[in-house]
Amino acid sequence: MNTVWVRLNAVVFFGLTVLLGLALMTATSTYLHEGHPTVKTLRLNKIKSFRSQSKVDRAIINFDLEADLAPAFNWNIKQIFVFVVAEFATKTNPLNQIILWDKIIEKPEDARLNLKKMHVKYGLIDQREELKGTDVTLHLYWDHMPLTGRLYTHSVAEDTFTLPMEYIRPGQQV
Amino acid sequence: MEELVNKVAELKMLWKHKRHLAFRCLNVAMIGLSALMLWKSLMVVTRSESPVVVVLSGSMEPAFQRGDILFLSNHDAPLRVGEVVVYKVANKDIPIVHRIMKVHEKPDGSVEVLTKGDANRYDDTGIYAPGQKWLKREDILGRARGALRYVGMVTIYLNDYPKLKYVLLGIMGIFVLTSKDS
Repeated sequence: MNTVWVRLNAVVFFGLTVLLGLALMTATSTYLHEGHPTVKTLRLNKIKSFRSQSKVDRAIINFDLEADLAPAFNWNIKQIFVFVVAEFATKTNPLNQIILWDKIIEKPEDARLNLKKMHVKYGLIDQREELKGTDVTLHLYWDHMPLTGRLYTHSVAEDTFTLPMEYIRPGQQV
Repeated sequence: MEELVNKVAELKMLWKHKRHLAFRCLNVAMIGLSALMLWKSLMVVTRSESPVVVVLSGSMEPAFQRGDILFLSNHDAPLRVGEVVVYKVANKDIPIVHRIMKVHEKPDGSVEVLTKGDANRYDDTGIYAPGQKWLKREDILGRARGALRYVGMVTIYLNDYPKLKYVLLGIMGIFVLTSKDS
């Protein structure tokens, strides 16, 4: 330890090793955390419009969501990314999953969601024109994004509704 | 400064004793090749051609910031909505980290997916190749499984100032070649 370089070398590499150790400890400290968020309701409120646009079927809906995601938080969570997914099967595609609405939650205080008649952010769009009379299931997903560590997503399936057999123009009664 | 003159003098002496120099070079090669072996093993275990990527843009903020490192895995499980994936647009070198917004799976198991950055207003259709509306399984380098913060800033600096790469490697090379065995 008699030259600047040797000392610098020792400090830098020991520092990096310590940082790596701390990162590993952070990641493992919350590895087994389960947390049990509750989803009280997720259901269709109203189909606002359902028609064909540019050769593809497109449905816009309102939904109700009541959920408490605060238990999903731990000290190692940077944000929870919540999203509502519409899942359905068509003749061409046996499985379709579309995110209709999403939200970033950064604090457990903001994690109690109580949304009524919430308008979707993104339309329920098929690749063809095969949505008439199709059953759609709404799922709630929440993605845990850590400070340091693994990413994981949990989800729960809630309501199923059927799209009408005829197109609906916006403003038309269902 | 004196250290530098010493190092240069040592290097000159090394050049006179070729066998010693060869031994030193072998040491450097061992370190380099061990690192390469580790990287290739990681590629095999994760089935990804790029098991570790650096986040280059702020399109996934606040979850991932520029300079964060993501660990990927690319196992055969089918692509599903909500997964954070890394993909490359055809002919471009930059890996993009975004979330899958739409999944359309065909009867044969193949998928067409649409991605979007969490912090972006619009989906990635504008980023794909002209005329391309969907990504396929082959475009995806892997799913993000874990994150490590800030460490990737080193890679970003090295890419922004390429001369830094050579300077750094040069210094490291000189130190390993001339370190005393005591």
